[in-house]
Amino acid sequence: MIPFLANIDPAFKVLAPRTADWLTILPEIAVAALALVCLVQAILLPKPLRWLIPATARTGLVLVIAMAYTTAGPWAPKNDVESFAGLLRQDLPFAGVRLVFLASALLTSLLAARFLRERGAAIADYHHVLLVVTAAFMLLAQSNHFVTFFLALETAAVGLYVLVGYLRRSEASLEAGVKYLVAGGLSSALLLMGIVLVYGALGSVAGITDSLNFTQIGKALSAQVQTPTGISPLTLVGIALILGGVAFKLGAFPFHAWIPDVYQGAPTPTTAFLATASKAAGAFTLLVLVTGPFAALALKLAPVLAIAAVLTLLAGNLGALSATDVKRTLALSGVSHAGFILAAVTVAVIAPEATAYGYTAEQVVVLYLLAYLVGTFLASQALVSLPAAADHLRPHLALRGLLRRSPSLAAALGFGIGSLAGVPPSVGFIAKLLVLALLVKAKLWWVLGVALVCVAISIHYYFCILREAVVRPTEDNVELAPLEISFGARFLIGALAAATILGGLLILN
Amino acid sequence: MEHTSLAHHLILAGLLFALGLTGVLVRRNLLVVYMCLELMLAAATLALVAFSRFNKTMDGAVLVFFVITVAAAEVAVGLALIVALFRKRGSVQSDALTTLRD
Repeated sequence: MIPFLANIDPAFKVLAPRTADWLTILPEIAVAALALVCLVQAILLPKPLRWLIPATARTGLVLVIAMAYTTAGPWAPKNDVESFAGLLRQDLPFAGVRLVFLASALLTSLLAARFLRERGAAIADYHHVLLVVTAAFMLLAQSNHFVTFFLALETAAVGLYVLVGYLRRSEASLEAGVKYLVAGGLSSALLLMGIVLVYGALGSVAGITDSLNFTQIGKALSAQVQTPTGISPLTLVGIALILGGVAFKLGAFPFHAWIPDVYQGAPTPTTAFLATASKAAGAFTLLVLVTGPFAALALKLAPVLAIAAVLTLLAGNLGALSATDVKRTLALSGVSHAGFILAAVTVAVIAPEATAYGYTAEQVVVLYLLAYLVGTFLASQALVSLPAAADHLRPHLALRGLLRRSPSLAAALGFGIGSLAGVPPSVGFIAKLLVLALLVKAKLWWVLGVALVCVAISIHYYFCILREAVVRPTEDNVELAPLEISFGARFLIGALAAATILGGLLILN
Repeated sequence: MEHTSLAHHLILAGLLFALGLTGVLVRRNLLVVYMCLELMLAAATLALVAFSRFNKTMDGAVLVFFVITVAAAEVAVGLALIVALFRKRGSVQSDALTTLRD
């Protein structure tokens, strides 16, 4: 052996991944393998058997969800266990984190198959990219090192550009794709510059061997806070840039400007996926960063987060008031939901021990995202099944008479929007209640006040949408033909509507 | 013997980054905007290499390879989207992006 390699070998052996490391990310590997299976099927299967592609993807996702919930397996998250020599670490309520992404992918697949067939777009490719993005999000949420963090984030982002611009015959979809591309590219560049500055500024601190590792960054920052000079301005600029990049994913003020256009133009299943999985990824990474590596800066970060939460709530709700398109209204209301999530993250920073009904702030973020997911997919299912001139033109008026045309779609809209608005006893109400209770525990009265005002505003615009569904069309030339809803869609609506009611009870028990 | 210091590299990287950012915000041609985005990534890469060299850690140099890979993937998807939009609309000016509005 070359002597030079003989020296490197022991050091490399310490860092080389072990079997136990691979087992901790078995669900992620399974999802990525499923993505490849979709492509192989697209090549091998004859046309009449193409329905197997989404069927395989869904069966696989259901199995992975079951797997992620087995507490006995080696992939079951154990708190604060680092794998791959510190590249990954599962320290959030991680079974719930996985569930958010997997459930979002499963429901998106259920919405997408028929939607894409009607528009003559390829189904296998969509599922492939969807599953790759899901696996990347799952890795992103457990990153403990800025290399894995950046790679997982960018894998997901590039995949999402494809999913947003997927209908290449539709100008709206392409325009949304390009807008998302420019906004996303800008945020990645800012994020990367932030990572570089933190890496460089902390790299010269004594005792730090790897200034990209979250644990070591945390150590370096808490050591620097105690010194009289404090944290260097270069590091602070870097941290601000990183948090800005993450706020873009979450859709928090002032990085929410891209949301209405992109959500409106994207194919509706992609919109639902963006709203749930992408927002969840932003929320989890923000939570990991502010409670992990940047925890030493809690005093500086807390007011910034609280102000961002308040401004996000206001921007989302005031924007949604004036929107006349259903997808735009839901997009801007999603911004206000991001505000609630930010409020919970603020509590996680200010008072890490605070609990609401026995749930910590981190668990509340996961529960809030699950509740938001159920409501969003119910409303999206109603939109997907409703015929429209173009996917990006869904004015409130188009919903007129929905109750008479299809009671099941009206029920989907009713349960979904009811849950998003937070009508008791829906799961959305319980989720909002948990966040408000956390704010009380942390004594953030002004955030609490704004949140309450915003709940009142949101009820107004949510019910404007619902009112249209109930009102009879005024013009005689509007046909009131009943809509054909497939059995699968009915089943999905029933299951999700049950989840809005039962989910709340499950949380409180 | 060092001819340049870390500060020289950082100032150059900062200038390139600012140039890219200004271009993204000011220019109207989507291709130019996209080139400016790549310029920002290149500026970050330059700073990364400089830090890696002066801090004597290899992690930054390794991250550069990942950044280049990611930038290549982003360009592949991004140019495909811009070309598809050009075929549909016959223009790559961002002023022409007016389908989506309330």
